[in-house]
Amino acid sequence: MIEPSLALYGEAFDQVEQHLLDLLNATGVRYCLMVDRKGFVLSHKEALWAPRPPALDSIATLVAGNAAATGALASMLGERTFSEQIHQGENGVLYVESIGDKALLVLIFDSSVPLGKVKLYAKKTIAQLESVLDNVGEAPKIEFDKGFSDTAGALLDDLFG
Amino acid sequence: MSTINFAAREINCKIVYYGPGMSGKTTNLKYVFGTIPGHLRGEMVSLATEDERTLFFDFLPLDLGSVQGFKTRFHLYTVPGQVFYNASRKLILRGVDGIIFVADSAPNRLRANAESMRNLRENLVEHGINLKEVPLILQINKRDLPDALPASMIRAVLDPKGELPVFEASAHEGVGVFECLKMVSKLVLERLSQPK
Ligand SMILES: Nc1nc2c(ncn2[C@@H]2O[C@H](COP(=O)(O)OP(=O)(O)OP(=O)(O)O)[C@@H](O)[C@H]2O)c(=O)[nH]1
Ligand SMILES: [Mg+2]
Repeated sequence: MIEPSLALYGEAFDQVEQHLLDLLNATGVRYCLMVDRKGFVLSHKEALWAPRPPALDSIATLVAGNAAATGALASMLGERTFSEQIHQGENGVLYVESIGDKALLVLIFDSSVPLGKVKLYAKKTIAQLESVLDNVGEAPKIEFDKGFSDTAGALLDDLFG
Repeated sequence: MSTINFAAREINCKIVYYGPGMSGKTTNLKYVFGTIPGHLRGEMVSLATEDERTLFFDFLPLDLGSVQGFKTRFHLYTVPGQVFYNASRKLILRGVDGIIFVADSAPNRLRANAESMRNLRENLVEHGINLKEVPLILQINKRDLPDALPASMIRAVLDPKGELPVFEASAHEGVGVFECLKMVSKLVLERLSQPK
């Protein structure tokens, strides 16, 4: 596989969830996601008061695509990376920052939330998340057996006819 | 390797439609989007130019359901086929688990097909992957064209050793679309149960 793929499980997963939750509570953002570089949501927390989030799958994909494009631009311009991306709208803000080279932190919040505060707490959370991810080893190999292929085959028949 | 998220028990597979400009990659995705019931798929995201040419990618998530307790999802992407978009094309290939190469049957696109296949191999090499490690399906599209080249000729150019699974298609009518998708999905999932 081309991209390091993250397998989050067990204690590491719980720690990530807790760090995201702490960040959410400390800053007052609406949605807080950890996304891998391929555009998959690894973990997601939302404020209790927040309305139903928009399609997170699509957000993750676009954010990862955007980050990949920005990274390619950085290297063309001789930079190691452009770390953070901030998109400010009239009502809300999308903030994306790298968590090492494996993942991205995505925060979505109202314009009324002070950006400086979010940045400050995000940096702290990123340091914590990086150290969690550094300690995530190889995923335990799951042995998918023949039953896996059979079940998958039957589901594919259902889905694709 | 597909991303496996143990805590949430999810398997996510990335499938990419590759091929020359205008060969019908976006058309494949639109057909899938229009045919699969809404509760099994997400929204389709298209980053396209005003004249409907893919600029960065199209994206469509599909839910297969639960396989041995793992919620299994496919993320379908198309690349922009136009030659000068290679930088974006390369980005989309990151982390790919399976590829459907959509070839165009029009006589004046034979060379474009060949160049796109060569470009695919080059981009994979740059990412450090061996083409043999990623399931690749050849879809020979636009079979409905009155002057379509013989499928055997297109195959001889793109897959001279006859190694790839091949399907003929008319994507705008949906012919061959699901056959390809099913085959590549099957190959991707089989790899999970075959430790290397
Ligand atoms: N006759 C015929 N036309 C097709 C078929 N499939 C697609 N087309 C047409 O081919 C044109 C290009 O299709 P797209 O799906 O946009 O092509 P693409 O591969 O996504 O092109 P790029 O985004 O530029 O890479 C459209 O006008 C389609 O309607 C087919 O099976 N037969
Ligand atoms: Mg297209």
